[in-house]
This record gives sequence, structure tokens and C-alpha cells, in this order.
Amino acid sequence: MKLARNQLTLNGKTVSFTDGETILTLANRMGVHIPTLCHDPRLDPVGACRMCLVEVTGFNRLVPACTQKATPGMEVITENARITRHRQTLLALYMTDHPQDRNAVEKGAPNQLLDLAEQYQAPLNWGRMLPIRSARDDDRNPYILFNADLCISCARCVRYCAEVERVSAITLANRGASTTVATADNASLLDTSCEMCGGCIDVCPTGAMTEKMPLTRNHKPERELRKVRTTCNYCGVGCQIDLNVDDIANDGRGMVVKITSPPPGTTVNDGNLCVKGRFAYDFIHHPDRLTQPLVCNENGELQPTTWDDALEKAVNGLQAVAKRYGADALGFVSSSRCTVEENYLMQKLARAVFHTNNVHQCAAT
Amino acid sequence: MNHIKSDVPELIQQQGGLKPDVSKQVSRHTGVAEADVYGVGSFFHLLSRSDKKLRVCTGLSCQMAGADKVLQAALDAGLPVEPCSCLAACDQPTAVLRDREVIPGVQVEEIKQTGGDWTKLKQEMSPGGKGWLGHIGPSVENDGDLAINLAGAPDWSGTALRMALTRSANHIIAIIKSSELQGRGGAGFPAHIKWQAVQSQSEPERYVVLNADEGEPGTFKDRELLMRRPDRIVEGLAIAAHAVGAKDVFLYLRGEFAYPKKSIELAIQQFRQRGLLADLRFHSHSGQGAYICGEETALLEALEGKRGMPRLKPPFPVEVGLWGKPTLIHNVETIACVPEIIKRGGDWFKNLGRTAAGTKLYCISGHVQKPGTYELPLGITLDELVESAGGYIGKLKAFCPGGASSGFLPADKRNIALDFQALAAVGSMLGSAGVIVLNDTVDMKWAVGQQLRFFEDESCGQCAPCRIGTRYLREAVNAELNGSATMHSPNLKFAEDVAWQMNEASICGLGQTASLALTSAMTYFPEDFQ
Amino acid sequence: MAGLVNTFGAGAMTNSIGEIRDADFLLVIGSNTSEAHPIIAMEMKRAVRRGATLVVADPRAIWMTSIAEKHLQLKPGTDVWLLNAMAHVIIEEDLIDHKFIAGQTENFDAVKQTVADYTPEQAEQITGVPADVIRWTARRYASTAKAGIYYVLGITEHSHGTDNVYALSNLVLMTGHLGKPSSGLNPLRGQNNVQGANDAGASPVFYPGYQRVDDPAARAKYEKSWGVSLSPTPGLNLNQMMKTTGNKIKAFYVMGEDILLSEPNVLHLERALNNIEFLVIQEPFLNETSRFADVIFPAAIYAEKDGVFINSERRVQRVRKAVQPPGEALADWEILVQFANRCGADWNFPGPAEIYNEMVKDVPRFAGISHERIEQTQHVPGLSGIQWPCPGANHPGTKYLHADGVLRGKGLFQAVQYRPSMELPDTDYGLILSTGRTLYHYNSATQTRREQGLSTKQSEAYIEIHPRDAQKRSIAHGDRVQVKTRRGSVHVRAFYSRQVRSGCIWMPFHFKEARANILTNDVGDSITGTAEYKVCAAEVTKLETGKKDTLLFPGAYFVER
Repeated sequence: MKLARNQLTLNGKTVSFTDGETILTLANRMGVHIPTLCHDPRLDPVGACRMCLVEVTGFNRLVPACTQKATPGMEVITENARITRHRQTLLALYMTDHPQDRNAVEKGAPNQLLDLAEQYQAPLNWGRMLPIRSARDDDRNPYILFNADLCISCARCVRYCAEVERVSAITLANRGASTTVATADNASLLDTSCEMCGGCIDVCPTGAMTEKMPLTRNHKPERELRKVRTTCNYCGVGCQIDLNVDDIANDGRGMVVKITSPPPGTTVNDGNLCVKGRFAYDFIHHPDRLTQPLVCNENGELQPTTWDDALEKAVNGLQAVAKRYGADALGFVSSSRCTVEENYLMQKLARAVFHTNNVHQCAAT
Repeated sequence: MNHIKSDVPELIQQQGGLKPDVSKQVSRHTGVAEADVYGVGSFFHLLSRSDKKLRVCTGLSCQMAGADKVLQAALDAGLPVEPCSCLAACDQPTAVLRDREVIPGVQVEEIKQTGGDWTKLKQEMSPGGKGWLGHIGPSVENDGDLAINLAGAPDWSGTALRMALTRSANHIIAIIKSSELQGRGGAGFPAHIKWQAVQSQSEPERYVVLNADEGEPGTFKDRELLMRRPDRIVEGLAIAAHAVGAKDVFLYLRGEFAYPKKSIELAIQQFRQRGLLADLRFHSHSGQGAYICGEETALLEALEGKRGMPRLKPPFPVEVGLWGKPTLIHNVETIACVPEIIKRGGDWFKNLGRTAAGTKLYCISGHVQKPGTYELPLGITLDELVESAGGYIGKLKAFCPGGASSGFLPADKRNIALDFQALAAVGSMLGSAGVIVLNDTVDMKWAVGQQLRFFEDESCGQCAPCRIGTRYLREAVNAELNGSATMHSPNLKFAEDVAWQMNEASICGLGQTASLALTSAMTYFPEDFQ
Repeated sequence: MAGLVNTFGAGAMTNSIGEIRDADFLLVIGSNTSEAHPIIAMEMKRAVRRGATLVVADPRAIWMTSIAEKHLQLKPGTDVWLLNAMAHVIIEEDLIDHKFIAGQTENFDAVKQTVADYTPEQAEQITGVPADVIRWTARRYASTAKAGIYYVLGITEHSHGTDNVYALSNLVLMTGHLGKPSSGLNPLRGQNNVQGANDAGASPVFYPGYQRVDDPAARAKYEKSWGVSLSPTPGLNLNQMMKTTGNKIKAFYVMGEDILLSEPNVLHLERALNNIEFLVIQEPFLNETSRFADVIFPAAIYAEKDGVFINSERRVQRVRKAVQPPGEALADWEILVQFANRCGADWNFPGPAEIYNEMVKDVPRFAGISHERIEQTQHVPGLSGIQWPCPGANHPGTKYLHADGVLRGKGLFQAVQYRPSMELPDTDYGLILSTGRTLYHYNSATQTRREQGLSTKQSEAYIEIHPRDAQKRSIAHGDRVQVKTRRGSVHVRAFYSRQVRSGCIWMPFHFKEARANILTNDVGDSITGTAEYKVCAAEVTKLETGKKDTLLFPGAYFVER
């Protein structure tokens, strides 16, 4: 069979690749699943976790699909007895160094290592070794918890911190079985260049990097929460976020207990979030929230009232001014914090109901 | 070329090791992120454990001579001590490292005499570390038929270099090719292919790197070469640089090689004073205690001031090497062969060998009369080597032909040619030719335990098969030795699968060969594993 | 916004956020990107990692300067000089795109004439940026094919903000860096739905979709749609409303803004609010303005309602209800509907989707986008959401604007002369005060200061002051100081910083106990009304010695090398 300049065979099927494409990206594009642990499309591939090894004719050893570029005429095999043995023995080895009880492991985020071990039926009877990786138990930063026992040294967090957020607050430290993720001098993240974007949490495949708050508040694990995709309400980038909702909590009104980012490549933020977008959600259910309409009584104090009363008073108040001074004595301040629909209604209210164009909002630069 | 970044390990060393705030200071000086500095410092044992002023070698040869007792005596004496990996003095056990200075042949009595003061240990070391030099052989007149001749007087005439400078790169490479010189670092890769590859890159900036970071247990020839014949090395490097078009030569020496480093730096001066090095720049760097940096790409990482974690290959250093530039990287011995090849021709060198080209520096230690470094035709047998070293002590049981990584061979393999090909054929390897002889007093399970602990300590931790596998196997063997095996502890019955995984999936040679000590011993000495 | 509408015909990022990573040259001016738009900063970091050249023009050494090729540390308010001098170089060295200028623009000669006087040497005197650096930047910008400019409020929050935008537009038009991927002019929006609020017509001069209220055809269209007669007079912009509060403006309906924290010269506004007759506010929390309210409607927040936001790159994206609002709080749209109906209107919207549909009916550039269609984008490869213009249901949306020619028809060159900021330092007020955002808080911080973690990182108000200026005033690092302008004073901590220029101080506006906007000047840009938050004259005096336990101030990004 004659192959074109940009073709190779993948599990016996002829497929075309693009310039510079890796076997992994090509396989993903073709719907061929290759398991990975250290891979993230935002990061330079490093081939460290060894999960994605495949067979390529001409190479004695198995080849990492994440780093190996597709070349013309290459014959790639992603499933055979050797690869199955590889996946099973590698996962078995990982599991000797990792807690295996899913309930204990997944208090924070879902654990991809356990998923893979299940999927590939890795033997789990090889025994266990006590982890000897050090953590930073006294890190007083408010958000990010590092559970060294769950760490598989894939360095996604470290690479994300260096390559995407570019602050290099964390590093792989020590070596061999002691390899761990650390800050300089094991300082609290608060005392480093960390900007608390939480990308380390997002990229961690095992939940070794996880969010502190939901854990300390004993919220349900992420797997049991409902995810609602929405748009972040801070700056104008329009990051897509997933509100993780516990529907039962908050007397059945539901509670946002965590925010996670959608997978890279699917939204404008490419899976990234900043400190506010990822962590600053406590205001949603804050006790300071207004729960009832308020009106000002004759003593100048605000007091709760019914919607009926509040609407009545507000309408009368504005209409009286319009009557006395004309509609242009009214000012309608709309908000770039509200939805498009709400802004539309506000300007329609000013224009169509009160007949003035005095409507604006604070961010019309 | 970013020298300032490459200085990170040395700057940490200057600050007295990785103590609090050192990362911050080095970061300020270099612009490397604090965390990254910390990551580098914590990777290298000589930096991360700077409070340990004494280190006792626990390589197999030292252990067979009773290193454990020396270590225990030091602990009892209250010395700031810890065990460490091989110190390249297997011929003179037990070796101890004091700061950056190796003290060979330390006895339990001497430790006891220190009275807790680590500076007092063997104060009478001979000047310039000469007391570290061991037996060499053979002794010949006028270099005879030896490519290196450790016993010869240094030759500063630069005859070979002068000859090379009058020849084209292609001509020199042709001579190297005709010599059939194979890399002496372990893999036996034909040298001329690397030279040709670097020479033909389109990138004009290229480098030559000397790998003097060999830490393979059983191997100490670099020490002898660097201290006795630095002339050979410097001249060889200059010829290589000329051939591949490099203007910068980097020397990366083991951190324990304080004296050898001085020796080669003096040699560079000698040649420079004679006007032989022209505009060639030499940059010397010290390792900081990591066996893995003997792996060429890990070495390049360390040379760039990073954690010494091997890179994926391909690409190979000849294309993407130091700072991403084409790089010719060679073991000390390989480079040292070059001047005589240029002087006396490729055929001459080729014919020196028995089963493959050239003479070879064999290190021999363990149960032999005169452990040392012997330059013999490539392809001699164990018995011939041991004869040079004064004969066996006791009855031969097993031997490592090429350091810990080569596993163990039984006595009945004593007639195999000690060369790259023949040893590979029996699932072992010549490696760095660090031959360790074990007699029948040794329990193979114990010996395996020593080797496995070494690999576990020296695994860089980058890839799971090696990081977890080395520990798993060591724990499994330990459990057997201590009788502490349980249902839930690592177990030798899974050793074959673990070894398969390590061999198949590890990134570099360390992980790929680390299980060999165990699997070979289980194959050849099943009785020791009953 | 108005500046770009005038020169290009659309007020939005011309490129997409995803194109930033492929740019080869990035000029970031008046944008503290890594703090105000961290995710866009990540894209810029990605470009730089790939080999792109980043140039930052900013009076402060912001984080982005640490990875920039050059930092143009201009004096606050001198942007027109810098940009005109760049134009000068580009024209002088004939780096202009003749074909683009001839085919797609008008009024080039006016600019050519104006900038002839703006030599780099003189610009150096005024801006403090070396002439050779101005030349280098101009050349690199003009000669790099994929060259993008990114700006925010550092450009617009000036009395001459629109001039700044014009000066930037001129550079873009003369080099033809428009209508191409990764190459254009990109205002980054500070709030989640600035773009959407403007697009939806929350403006005294525009109906939805930038149709002018004084355009009879547009008015007729909306009179027909809404079935009422409409005022032909443009309304007051926010700045004008604030300044005439109590005189002209007698009542407000304020939805979702704490004007007493966000608007400039707030003490004046505070006094004025005492003189109005009625104030309705609609908010999720009590805030500074609440004190003056007659009625407060409890509003739902984004997690409690449906709708769309439109981001900086014109991408229309869904807001989805995840939880119920607390107590009796209602979504803003529900409140507005009830309010209007009480006024006699007959608004009948089952939900935001129907409101949205009514809006797009009269706005061609949104016509192809609907809630349903946005929903579908989530289930196909590619990014979710749709970017306007999107005139029809089969139109894929628009990644970058002006690809088929400048939307305005011809790109309009606008000659601008430098006008100094309205209030500059003198003997009484010797420093220039600029205000801005930090990474850890957001606007009036009603949300972020209800989150303990962020306060751990940044708990109190501060100014950044150059050690030289501080020492002159006997102020030590961490001291409590009074910051004073002609409009008022606040008490804050002073942190030494070499990131600000000597002669300048900088202050975040998030802290209600030290409202930066007590200090700021409410002079507005002549076109947009945007106030001069970035430059006013100020003075600092020491109050008391600072606590010794203080951390280094939280914005200190740099290792001094």
C-alpha cells in the first residue's frame, strides 16, 4: 500500500496527519483512546507518566504517544498484548504507591488513576508501600491543599505554574521515591510568587492538589455534585465556569460548593481560571445577601416590606418626579454586571415607559 | 548561551548548601525562580544534605569490605554522617567523603580516633589527593601498545593536536571511524557516528561536553585518568572540538572529584601556556551528588542548572544538546583514546583489541588480590583480568562485569569475552567495565539488596516505572532478608512483572537496567532465594 | 467605545482572545493585564513563550513588564505624545501600508500633518520614554505582520481618553493591521458584560446595536416595535448625570452599581444625593449608596438566573441558573418586568430567552444568535458561544472584525493633539495619583471581600509610592499615611514600590474604608463622559508608623536583579 506524504497507519488503518502533530493528538482526533496522566494540551509534552506508550514499528522500545511526532509511513499500534501488559503493570505499580480506597481518595476531586486502574483491570494485589513524599501541612494559604500521598509526580501542576501562569511558585523537589511538589523552602504559597489561580488543582489528575474550602466544610465530593456551565461574573473575558451544585443543601435551594473549569479547548478560557473566578464564590450564599425588599420609613431607616409595597412605592416615587420635573429629571443607571436581557429591559424602561434617554452604565468607555 | 543559569548548583554550593533563604538569594542573583532553585538544590544530595559532613560509601565493594561497620562506628562517634552511593574508590574500601574530598581505605579504628571531630579523619591524606590513586597496570615503556597508558608521564607536546589542526574535520572523522572506537561510557556506540552527526548540523553553534560524572558502583577509572593522564583528555577534547567545529568545551565532573578537577584544570593551563588551545574555551562544572547525571541528557540538564532528569530520546544530543545546540558528549576514557588514534592511526588502535577495537580500562574490585585499574585488550576474559590483579581471594561465585547495572553473572560465565557484544548476548553488559568479583562467602540476596538500594537512592524520580519500581524491588528483597514480608508488602513473586515494566517503560538506562541485579541473581543463584 | 465606533464602525475587540497566542508582536498599553484580565494575560504569556515580542507601555512596572522585551514607562497622561511620535516614525520611515490607506481609509493627510511635529526626541522630553525606544517600538510594530494592540482603562480613563483611542486607531490604520487574525486593536472589557450592556443599548445615545437615538429612522423603527413615542433627544451620560445630581436629575433608578464607590469625586456626589427626591436601587447586597435609597429591591446574582453575557471579544455566552436566590430576591429582569407593568406597560416575557429574541429582532448583527443556538455550540468541537456580528442563523459568527473591509466603510483617521491632563501636580499637590485594580479584588469588592481567602492575600487599602518620594516626606515602608487631593482625603498604608515612577503614586479603588474615588477627578472625556480616574494631583503625609509585622506589599512581583 502506498501512503501519501502525510499519512501513516494507526492500528492498521491509513490516516492523515497534520504537520507537527503527535501520535496522541492524531489518535484523539481519530477517536482512538490512548490513556494519559501527565498530558495536558496546554503544556509541553514530557512523556513522564509513561501511560501513553504505544508501539511504533522500527522502535525497539514502546514510544510515548504524547511526544512522538507523526512521520510519514509510520506504523502505530495502540492495542496489543504487549501494550495491555504495559498498561496493567504500570498501573499496578502506580497503585502500590497510592491509596486505593476510592471513598478516601476522592474526598476532593475525581481520581483519574483509579479510573484507569479500573478500566484496564490492573492487578491490585502487589502490596502497598508507605508514601514518603513530604507535604506542606502548615501552609496557611486559604485555597490550595497539597496531599502528597495522592501525588504521582506527573508535574502537571509544576509545568502549568511555569508554562501557563508563568509564576513558577512550585517545583518538583527531592528525587526518587521522595520526589514531591514543593515551594522554595517549603514556604506557604502565600509567601511565594503564587497568584492563586488554582491551575494546579485543575490539572491534577489525582486530586493531590485540591481545593481546601469544600474539604474543610465537609461538602460532598465533586463526583456527586451537579455541574452547571455558566459565565464568570467578574472581568470581561467571559470565562466559562462550572458551578458545582449540591441540590439538597441550603434547604433545597441548592448550593454552589465549588467552581471548576471546563476542559481545555472547549471554551474561551481554554480551561484556565484566575483566583477570583475559581475561588471567590462565597458571596453567593453570604448571610449579607438581601432577601427582602426594603423601604425607607419616615425615620430614615430601611425596613423590610413586601414586594407589592416596595414596587408600589418605587413606581409612585419615580412617576411623581417625572410628573413634577419631566422625564429627563430621571436617571436610569443600568449595569454591565447584569445580563444583556436586563440591560435591554432597563433601557426600554427608560425610553419606552418613561420617555427619556437618560440611561447609561458605568463602563461605557 | 546562558551561563548564569548553569551556575545555580554551584551558587547553592557556595552558600553552603540548600539552607533556608539560599533559594531566594540564588534566585535574586540568577533570575531563576526561587522554587526552581529549590527544586535543583533538593535534587542533589551534596546540596540538599549539606549538614552531613561525612559520607560513607555503601557501594557493593565497600560493603563487602565492611562499610556498614565503618558507618556504624561513625554514627556511634556522633559524627555528622550518612551513607552514600559509590565514591569511586572501590579498589580501596572503605571510602569516606569529607566535604568534597574522598578519603579511601578508612578503618573502623580511624573513625573511633576522631573523637567526634569530622575534620580530624585521616588528616595525613597525601597532597593533591594522591593517596586516592590505586593500583594500575600494566607498566610499559614508551606507551607501548596502549591507547592511554596510565603509568606514562603526561605529554604536553600536543603532537596529536597539532596533527589534527592541519587536517580537515572529515579527515579526522575518517580516522576515528577507521579506529572503530566505541564509546566507553557503557553503550559502546561507535564514536565517529556522533562526531559526524554533530559536524554536519546546520546550526553553527556546537558544544563538546566531557562526561566525567560516572558514578557506576565498581567504576573508578575516571579518577585515575583525570589525575594521571589529564593531558590525554584535554588533547582529545581539543581535537574533538576542532573536528566538530565547537568553540566551547564543558567539563562536568563528579562533585566528589575535587582533586581530579584541579588536575584537569592544570592540564588545560599547561596546553594553554604552550599556545595550543587558541580560542577554545573550557568551562568546568562540578556535579552535586547524583549518579543519574552520568546519563548524558541528565548531565546536560544539570549543566544547564536544572534538576538532573534525563530527557526523552530522540532527539539525541548530537542534534539537540546543551542549550538546544548540537553537542558531542563523550565519556572521559573515550576522549582519552583520541590523541593516540590521531597519532598512530585508526588501524593501530583497532588492532589493539582482541574481540573489538582498542585497549580498555578495566576496573576491578571485590574479592581479588590487587584491585585496581588495568588497561588490557578489549575482549579479555575475567580470569585474565583477575590474573593482572594478582588473582582471586577465595572461590569465585559471581561477578558484575560492568557495575551494578550489569547484574550478576555466575562463575561459569568466566570465559566470556569482556566486551560490549558478548556480554550483551548473555543479557548483561560491559557498561563502564567496573568489574566486581564476589566469592562464595557472599549471599546473593544480600548483594542484590545493596545494588537495589543504590538504584532506589539514585532514581531521579521522573518516571513511575523507575521511581516506584526500584523502591518496590528493594522493599521486596528487604522483606525477604528480614523475614518481614506480609500479604500487603511488596513481594518478590511480582518481581518479574515489575522488572518487565521497568525495563520496557523507563525513560532512561537507569530504570531500564535497575532490575537486572535481581533478575540475574534469581536466575543464576536460585538457591539464595529459597 | 465611542472612539472605536467613530473610527472603525464597531466598538469592540477586533480580534478574538484565542488569536492572541498566535500574535508576533503585542503592544499592551494602559492594561495591567495579568491582574485585571488574568486569562488574557495567560494568552499573552503563551505568545511570548512561543517567541512573540511583548512591549508594555505603562507608567507602572506591572507584572507583564517582567516578560516584556521593552517597558515604555511613560508619564501618566502623555499617551498621545507617545503614540503620535510612533506614528511620526512610521510615516517618516515609510513603514505605512499605502494600499490599505488608499483603499480603506480616509483623512490620512490630517494625521500626517499633525504628527509631523511629534518627533521622538520631543516625545522623550514629555513622556520620559527614550526616543530610540519609541523608534524601535514603532518599527517593530509597523513591520510585524501579526501585531496586536491591547488596551484598557489606562487609555480611556482620561479627560482625553477618546483622543488616546484615536491615536491608537491611527497607528492601526496606517499600518493596515486590521481585518486580519492576531492583528488589530483590542479594548479589554473590565466587567463581565460591559460589551453586552453597550450592545443592548444601555446608553444615552444608542438604541440596542449602536443605532443612534437622534437618527429618525432608528427612532421610527423602535417606536413601531415598542408601540410608543420616543424622545429624540440624546440623554445624559453617567458622568453628566452624576454632576447634575440634585439639580437636573431628581431621581435615580440604579441597578447593580455602587455609585458611591465607583464614581469619581464621590464626596461631591454624596452631598448631591441628599438633594434628590427619590432613589431606587436594585442590588444583591447593601452598599454605600444604599444609605440614600428610598426603595431597595433584593436582586439575584448570576448563579441564580438565566440570560447571556457578551465578553470582550463579542462572544455571546449563556448565564445559567444553578441555584435559587435567597429569600424573596428576584432576578433583575423579573423585577424590571414587574416594575414596568406597574407603570402601565404590558410586558409579557416568560423568560430571558424571549427578552433576548425581542432585542435581536431589531439588531441585525445579533440576528443569528439565540439562546438555543448558543446551547448547541456546547455540543460540537470548538469553543462554545457565538461571536457577533452574526446576521443569520447559518452564519458562523465572526472571529475578527473588518475582514471584508472596515465596518464603517472607510477607516477614519482622526488627527489628535496632545492635551495635558486636567489636573497636574503643583506646589500644594506634588504627586500624580492613578487608581486601578488588583488581582485579588474586584470593583467595589462587595463580592471579593466577602471571601476570606482573598483578604488573606490583600486585606487593606494601600498606595504604592516610590521610595524617593516617600523618603522626601519621611514616610517609611508600611506607614499609615493620609492621601489628599482637592476633593478629599483618605487614610491608607504606604508601601515602597519601584514599580511606580518617581513622582507618581498608585492606589487600588476596592476598599470602602479608603475610597479612592473620594480623591479622583470627575472631569469627563468630552465624548464618552468617562472620568479621569488615572490622573489627578495628590499629596501624601505621614500619619503613624506602620506595624512591624507587615508583609511585603502584595503587588511586589519582582526580584530586583
